[in-house]
Amino acid sequence: MDYVRAASLEEALAAALRPGAAFVAGGTNLVPDILFGRKKPVLAVDISRLRELRFIEERGGRLRIGALATVTDLLESDRVREAAPPLHESAVEFAGPLVRNRATVGGNLLDASPAADLAPPLLAQDGEAELLSAEGPRTLPLASFFLGYRKTTIRPGELLTAVSLRSLGPNDRSAYQKLQLRRAMAISVVSVAAALWMEGGRCAEAGIGMGAVAPVPYRSGAAEAELRGRVVGEAEAEAAAAAARREARAIDDVRASARYRERMCEVLVRRLLRRTLGLPSPARAH
Amino acid sequence: MSRYEVTFRVNGEERRASVRGEATLLRTLRELGHLDVKTSCEAGDCGACAVLLDGEAVNACLVLAAQADGCEIVTVRGIGTEGNLHPIQRQIVEKGGVQCGFCTPGIVVAAKALLDRNPAPSPEEIRRGLAGNLCRCTGYQKLFEAIAAAAQEMRG
Ligand SMILES: Cc1cc2nc3c(=O)[nH]c(=O)nc-3n(C[C@H](O)[C@H](O)[C@H](O)COP(=O)(O)OP(=O)(O)OC[C@H]3O[C@@H](n4cnc5c(N)ncnc54)[C@H](O)[C@@H]3O)c2cc1C
Ligand code: FES
Ligand code: FES
Repeated sequence: MDYVRAASLEEALAAALRPGAAFVAGGTNLVPDILFGRKKPVLAVDISRLRELRFIEERGGRLRIGALATVTDLLESDRVREAAPPLHESAVEFAGPLVRNRATVGGNLLDASPAADLAPPLLAQDGEAELLSAEGPRTLPLASFFLGYRKTTIRPGELLTAVSLRSLGPNDRSAYQKLQLRRAMAISVVSVAAALWMEGGRCAEAGIGMGAVAPVPYRSGAAEAELRGRVVGEAEAEAAAAAARREARAIDDVRASARYRERMCEVLVRRLLRRTLGLPSPARAH
Repeated sequence: MSRYEVTFRVNGEERRASVRGEATLLRTLRELGHLDVKTSCEAGDCGACAVLLDGEAVNACLVLAAQADGCEIVTVRGIGTEGNLHPIQRQIVEKGGVQCGFCTPGIVVAAKALLDRNPAPSPEEIRRGLAGNLCRCTGYQKLFEAIAAAAQEMRG
């Protein structure tokens, strides 16, 4: 494998035109993929020193996060904790400190695992991907970014430069939970992020991000529809939970069965909504 | 096959190597004789290969050697040596936190990074700080106690 370290965005894009080239950021997915023969890039284009892609900033009511921000950066950012609490919590639950120091936001989304833990919180907050190629920049919603198992809309040679999300304010509501087989260093069995933007007691806008359920992380449009525009109480939380279960097209794998996952979509959506709305301990699922 | 000349400092001393593109920092360090950096899973799961890379604790098996060009690397030997143990190392010995010893270098590096960031960690923070390090012998309890004791000693 050849290797080139990009000193600028232009250099990175030019090098990536070579067929079989792959960007390497933190390397936490790609390096073992190469070592164990799962991926065989002919050229690694090292973007890890592109400082201009490592930032967290506010712009126009949105939080913008550079593709090279690490999970440790997310964890330690006050802005993330305030404007995107589910993303903060997903960083807390992400791997261990050694991996978090290298793992980047861009690498997590482009590895495109069904269980990519940063995806549900970003989806719930109306996440957008900012992409750049030799042909120029484009922006698209994360909800249409993931196409299938480990497949995204990114084109060969295209670089993810940043993601942005719609900020939550102090009166808005949110919650996150990752179901895992142990308390740290575990791949998600199911993870859910919920964000509710409130206007005078009414839920003006809702985002429900689902991870490790289907072949791709996705927004539960059916659950969101039960919340949007309503005063959310017991009945609405129940309806959203049931809708999330009906909508789930869950996968079977070594960690859980599809039936279990579908059931957990309902349980987690109910639990998170009740928690964030201050409703008493969750009712038992049927 | 293309090779790349890399230079980095390991425990303060300059090291040079000619590496292939896919060479990991872990394998390169060991080929240079730094056998105090342990190798096991080579997949980021065990933490035996932990080193400080420009001050941050990382799994050397997940970094390409070429990516570390120009960087400052600290291994367990850069934290303390036989004649001059770091409080973390001395406390791990005193509290019985070493059995086979295979995980110890990585544990010391992860603990050093934890205490650099957080000089007074809670028991839960110590557990989470070591979440990326596996130990198959000690059951962890003595390691946690040793790190808490080292933190206290270092705070004076
Ligand atoms: C022990 C261990 C534990 C883990 N735990 C978790 C966990 O709890 N949750 C979780 O979600 N993941 C986990 N991971 C997976 C991994 O750490 C993350 O997916 C990480 O965020 C990947 O980022 P990276 O920078 O290391 O990516 P890299 O390995 O550098 O790249 C991954 C892929 O993305 C591409 N890429 C990277 N950046 C860009 C970019 N800016 N534009 C275009 N393409 C790009 C690369 O070409 C490659 O295909 C774990 C991994 C390990 C080894
Ligand atoms: S050898 Fe690097 S984490 Fe196991
Ligand atoms: S002492 Fe043997 S693995 Fe930890």
